[in-house]
Amino acid sequence: MRASLLTSTAAAMFALSFAAGGASAASKWDGADDLPTSPLACDASAAAAPAAAKPYDGGQPTNPPDKAGKEITLVDVPKLIGIGYFNATSKGMQDAAKELGNVKVTTDGPTEAKIDEQIKFIDNYITRGVDGVLFAANDPVAIAPVLKKALSKGIHVVGYDANSTPDAREWFVNQAEFNGIGKGMMDSMAKEIGEDGSFAIVTSTFTTPNQARWIAEMQAYAEKCHPKMKWLETVEAQEDNNLSFNQATTLINKYGDKLKGLFGMTSVATPASAEAVTKAGQCGKIAVVGLATPNAMKPYLKTDCVKSVVLWNPIDLGYAATYVMRAVVDGKLKPGATSVEAGKLGKLNVVNGSEILLGPPFIYTKANIDKFDF
Amino acid sequence: MSATAVASPASPLSGAWRRLASQEALLAVAIVGLAIVVGLINPRFLATRNLADILLGNAYIAVAAVGMSMVIISGNIDISVGALIGVLATVSGSLAVAGAPILVSWLVPLVLGVAVMAAQGAIVAYLRIPAIVVTLGMLSILKGGLISVTGGKWITDLPQNFHLADLSLFGVPMPVVIMVLATALAALWMRHSPRGRAIYATGGNPEAARLCGVNPQRTVLMVFALHGLFAGLASLVYATQLRVIQSTTPQGLELTIITAAVVGGVSILGGVGTVVGSTLAAVLIAEITSALVFINVSPYWTDAVRGALILATVIADILRRQRRAARGWKR
Amino acid sequence: MSAAIAAEAWRAPRWLKRHETLLAIILVIALIALGAFNDRFLTVENLLDQGRFITETGLIALPMTFIIITGGIDLSVGAIVGLCAVMLGYSWKTFGFPLPLAIVFALFVGALAGFVNGFIITRVRVPPLIMTIATLALYRGLAEGVSQAHSVRGYPDWFYFLGQGSVFGVPAQLLLLVVLIVVAGVALDRTTFGRALYAIGANETAARFSALPVDRVKLIVYTLSGLASGLAAWVLVSRVTTTRMDMGTGYELDVIAAVVLGGTSIFGGSGTIWGTVIGLVMIQLLKNGLALTGVKGDATIVVIGVALILSVLIASSLQRRRD
Repeated sequence: MRASLLTSTAAAMFALSFAAGGASAASKWDGADDLPTSPLACDASAAAAPAAAKPYDGGQPTNPPDKAGKEITLVDVPKLIGIGYFNATSKGMQDAAKELGNVKVTTDGPTEAKIDEQIKFIDNYITRGVDGVLFAANDPVAIAPVLKKALSKGIHVVGYDANSTPDAREWFVNQAEFNGIGKGMMDSMAKEIGEDGSFAIVTSTFTTPNQARWIAEMQAYAEKCHPKMKWLETVEAQEDNNLSFNQATTLINKYGDKLKGLFGMTSVATPASAEAVTKAGQCGKIAVVGLATPNAMKPYLKTDCVKSVVLWNPIDLGYAATYVMRAVVDGKLKPGATSVEAGKLGKLNVVNGSEILLGPPFIYTKANIDKFDF
Repeated sequence: MSATAVASPASPLSGAWRRLASQEALLAVAIVGLAIVVGLINPRFLATRNLADILLGNAYIAVAAVGMSMVIISGNIDISVGALIGVLATVSGSLAVAGAPILVSWLVPLVLGVAVMAAQGAIVAYLRIPAIVVTLGMLSILKGGLISVTGGKWITDLPQNFHLADLSLFGVPMPVVIMVLATALAALWMRHSPRGRAIYATGGNPEAARLCGVNPQRTVLMVFALHGLFAGLASLVYATQLRVIQSTTPQGLELTIITAAVVGGVSILGGVGTVVGSTLAAVLIAEITSALVFINVSPYWTDAVRGALILATVIADILRRQRRAARGWKR
Repeated sequence: MSAAIAAEAWRAPRWLKRHETLLAIILVIALIALGAFNDRFLTVENLLDQGRFITETGLIALPMTFIIITGGIDLSVGAIVGLCAVMLGYSWKTFGFPLPLAIVFALFVGALAGFVNGFIITRVRVPPLIMTIATLALYRGLAEGVSQAHSVRGYPDWFYFLGQGSVFGVPAQLLLLVVLIVVAGVALDRTTFGRALYAIGANETAARFSALPVDRVKLIVYTLSGLASGLAAWVLVSRVTTTRMDMGTGYELDVIAAVVLGGTSIFGGSGTIWGTVIGLVMIQLLKNGLALTGVKGDATIVVIGVALILSVLIASSLQRRRD
């Protein structure tokens, strides 16, 4: 019985591996979504050129009370609470609120990144009666009904970090264009490992919308501007540091010398990949490029295992979102506007109809890492 | 007259021991067999470096599974252990960063783990609240509490000598040492010491145990306390492995630990199972996870394949036990 | 003498000491307290709104009550929700089924998943906890593999009625839940099926020897559990207008908390649908009330955890004093 069980299990695994091997020969990188991509030009010219103006496509609240100049109460419902990234956006919002003087912002949300929980939080605040909702969505489509409910009650809705469908919110503060991230990541990797290097990707889950977009844009850009670079595979590792570390280590062991670079797509995957490279003694031989919050990357930047970390400044992101909300309530930001004043950040441009662009990505390096604490 | 085979009266568990030994043997064979099969497909799997990494990266699960096995054998369950490990790891790292002596930052999680688990054990044993309720409530308390206190801030700037997991004893890395020692000591204690065997008795039939002079309540309390100790050890390995500590509840960890215990042959009906089995099972599950990457199973299907293999192992274990039972005690 | 008789004459009626009643009293006290702190809590609009959120876990809690009464458990319900949600979208988009057929297909997949659980639990005799932990992983993995992590969206408007529409002001899914609560309550209380559940939970061997079709009953409850998960998936997809493979994550713990809070013993043999309903309502309204009062997310789950332990503690110690 034991022998036959083992044989059948082994046979099953053989069969599965061949089947799965065939399945993974798909043309799309694992972890990418199906939406159309728009890779930027290969040289540096792309950064300056603004996208063609699109008509405003956001939603509008129904009969919002006129609170221009008056004190407003806002709620911020991020994907989840209890991680450094959203602590930082929250801090930015508090900074903006203090500067503006007539804004009160509370950050509240689920303790796990579950869309169902996030919807309940937003719904509760609608019942409580707030003047505005700031959100970072766990799922762009699933969050739409509750946001539209908010709009129908006259509550202003502004998103940041992770968008919803455009008609469910008035404005979306985008930290960086998806294709900009794609370009930034691929160019950084190409600079470190060369035009014919091979790399793998470590991400959290395949269902996180932003990550899936970035991977899709990275693929499109790589095909256009770094066609000889080879994508090996993508692995998921949830949001657990130890699991991500194990997955990254498995990749290093599987490919050996063939692996020249690792992409980390989240603030958990990147430090974990850096740790795996450090533990394997491959610092300098395997490049680690990724998105991450600075604190988690400090040890690896200091040992030069990682050269630079791509992100934007989440504090600025939260700050901008609050200013946008204030401008919306005050009537200073109407559909069709092309820019908005955002306090110390100056003038931010409107792109894609109803998105407000924060600016170029911020690169954290050994030199500036100590200035940040999130 | 042919000797009717009965369990040798000198050692009532020896028949059971022999019966259980084959689940461990099955797991050991599966571990080796899988390695060979995957090695044929991708020889890099068998590199010493890779096999060592599989063991090192997952040792904390095996250590926690030792305690969990005890809890399950005693007829209870605990779903708060994942959150507890997250809390203990954070405490450990915070102490180290705050400048406490390294030994303190290693010992406090153990003490705290025992305290928290013993409290739950007391509620289960003396207040007669089902373990699933108590630990479910505690899970929420620990998770929410951790976020409230730390806000999920990363712990970085850990002192160099904090990393217990980087040390080695006679050339064997610490995580493996801890895993092997924890398993061996627990296994021997549960087999040979009266208190250890009391766990099996309590789990199998608490009334009968009481009539034999075992105090089920005290046993359950002791089991939970020990579980807290092993959770503390696991959190040490977990926290000292990486340069940074994520102050959050590791997602799904309790499920992985319970799965390891269950695949290891521990029966939820209580009274059956060994910690050796759970350690081997933890190793097997870790090996499967790595193997699926090596043989290029599509990443969209890895969880399904792993789930199927776990299910197959569990079914095989039950069938094997039934076959043994049907054959009776015949040698 | 007459005083002694009079003193003896008043003994609290038995129903007052039941777990469900004690819990209901705690619930009412909690509601009044929360309502005092917040004037938006005890409004019809808010309560009906919460009814929408209760439905998915509520649907699953009904067969879960049956299962726990028989001494079993089903941890795979959340994963089945995810699998059915994926199958709903997948069969509609990729197989090209007309949407009503896709819905039926999703329900069928749920029932099948539950049937597999029940079959292996009864035939191979794998303990329910172990079996459903394994299928939890398997079904979730299948959801990911089949969907390839894609969502399916863009359903026709009529599809959203179940999750977002109302009938005479009452949310549509809440009506569905109420109907099923009544059906489940009647089944448990008044039918031989219900009595068989209690018998199996109290002493399975005795039940077998009493010629009760133990295996068939168990098979039915696990299949129902899968079917209810499929139903919950339909409601959920209709409510959030999209499918995700991670839908339903964590539902099993929410459902079990509600059932156990409601007085169903985890060891089997006792419990009522009424108790489960109170448990459900209590947890949801507690979360809602706390949120409306201004308690944040992390503190809320601490309170819920404490409340769970305390409620079970209070109710069971009051009951034991009676014994």
